[in-house]
Amino acid sequence: MSQEELQNLVVDKSVDARGTACPGPLLEAKKSIGTIASGEIMEVLSADEGTKRDIPKWANKKGHEYLGTVEDSGYFKIYLKKG
Amino acid sequence: MSDNKKEAGALGQLYKTFFAKHWPVWVGGIILGTLNILLFAIKSPWGASGGINNWGENLYSILGLFNLEDATPLISSNYGMLCLFLVIGSFIGALFSKEFALRIPPVGELIKGFIGGSLMALGATFGIGCTIGAFFSGMPALSGGAIIFTIGLFLGVIVALKYLMWEMEKFPGFSSGKSYSFFAGTGKKGNWQKWAGWIVLIITLYIAYQYSGNHQVLAWFIIIGMLMGLISQRSRFCIVKAFRDPFMTGESDGSVGVMAGIMIGLIGFTIIKYFGIAVGDVALRTREMTWIFSHFFFRAIIGGFVFGLGMTIAGGCAVGTLWRVGEGQVKLWASALGFLIISPISKLYIVPPIVEMLPASWDFKSYLPDYLGYPGAFALVTVIILIWYVFVKWNEKTGKFSAY
Repeated sequence: MSQEELQNLVVDKSVDARGTACPGPLLEAKKSIGTIASGEIMEVLSADEGTKRDIPKWANKKGHEYLGTVEDSGYFKIYLKKG
Repeated sequence: MSDNKKEAGALGQLYKTFFAKHWPVWVGGIILGTLNILLFAIKSPWGASGGINNWGENLYSILGLFNLEDATPLISSNYGMLCLFLVIGSFIGALFSKEFALRIPPVGELIKGFIGGSLMALGATFGIGCTIGAFFSGMPALSGGAIIFTIGLFLGVIVALKYLMWEMEKFPGFSSGKSYSFFAGTGKKGNWQKWAGWIVLIITLYIAYQYSGNHQVLAWFIIIGMLMGLISQRSRFCIVKAFRDPFMTGESDGSVGVMAGIMIGLIGFTIIKYFGIAVGDVALRTREMTWIFSHFFFRAIIGGFVFGLGMTIAGGCAVGTLWRVGEGQVKLWASALGFLIISPISKLYIVPPIVEMLPASWDFKSYLPDYLGYPGAFALVTVIILIWYVFVKWNEKTGKFSAY
C-alpha cells in the first residue's frame, strides 16, 4: 500500500504503545488484535525503532496482513489487517 | 562536473547502505565478535558491567560517598571509556540514520527501567559479569562459569517474561500514560541530525587522537567502543531479544546474531589463548585465564538469573541499555542510572557478606581446556551453540515454546 493509501485508511482499532519500550508495542499489538474481527484493520503507534521490524514479522507469521508503516514525528504507525 | 556528480552518487549509495535501513542482526553479531577479538588482542575482551560500575564509582567519588575517592577516574578507565564511547557511537549511528529522538515514556516505564537496571547491577556484581563479560565474551573465553551463567540468564528471562505478561493482563495501566518525543529527525526537517552526527564523529576521533600519544590502549578502546555502539544501534543487536524472542514470538533472528558473534569470538579467543598472542609481560597462564571468573557455579547461576530478570524488565541488557541510551530512549537512561547507582553499593556492601557465608570452594575458576584440552573445549562450546541454534530454528517452525 502507498503511504497516501495508508494515511487514508479507516482503522477499526488504534493502539497507542508510544509509551512502552521493546517489547511493549508487540505485547500490546498481540493483546489488542484479539479484540477485533477478521478482516478489520488495526494501527499500532510506536516510538520503538525495533518494532518496525518485529511487528510485521510477527503479524505475517500469525496469518495477519501487514499493510505498511507510516513515519510521523518521533513515532510511526504500523497497519495490520487481521487474518 | 559530471564526474563529481557520479562521485556524490556513489558516496550517497554508500551512506544509504549503512544508514537507510537496519542491518541484519547476524551482520552486527559477526562484526561485534570481530571487534571483541581485537579488544582481546589489544588488552582484554569486551565487558560492560565493569565500565558502568566505574561510572557509579566516579559519581560517588564526586559526592564524597563510600570512600571511593581512589576510584579510577573515568578518563583513565579503559572500560569506563569503552562504555561511554559505546553510547556516543550509538548516538552517531542514530543521528546519521535520523533515528535519534528523546523518547520520554510514562512514569511506570521509568520505574521498570530503574528497577531493571538495579537488578542487573546486583546480578552482575554477584555473578561477576554481565551478558557481555560473562556470556558474549565468557563463552568464547572457554569459561565453564559462562555456561552456568547462561543457564541462569535463560531462567531469569523466562520468569521475567511471565511477569511482563502478567503485568499487562492485571495492571495494564502501569506502563501506559502520556509519552513525549523531542528532537525527532522525521522528514527533511531532521537533516540536522546528519550534520550533528558528523560533528560528534569528528570530536570522537579527535579525542581518540589525543589519547594516542601516551595511552594507545585507551585510544583504541575509544575507537572500538564507538564502532561497537554504532554497529549495535544499526543492527539492533540485543541479547535480551536473543534469549526472549524464542519464548515470546518464536523469532530466531536475534539469537542467530548473538550466536554468530560468539562463534567468531570463539575462533579468535581460542587462537589468542592457545598461542599466547599479545601475552606481553604477563604469564601465559594469566593470559589463558583472562575472562575466567571465580563464579563457578553458584555465583554464576544466581548472578545470571538475577541479571536475566533485570534485563528483561528493563528491555535491554548492559550493552542494549547503553546503545538505547545513545538513541534517546529515556527508559533506558533510567536503567543505566539504576545500574550505576546500585553497582558500587552492591560490590561494597551487599555481595561481600553473602560471599563470606559461602564455602570457599564455590569461588571456583573453571577453565574448560584444563579438563578437555583446547580441541575438547572448543568442541563443547560449538556443540552448545549448535544445540541452541537447532532449538531456536525448530521452535520458530513449530512454535512449541512460544507464548505468541
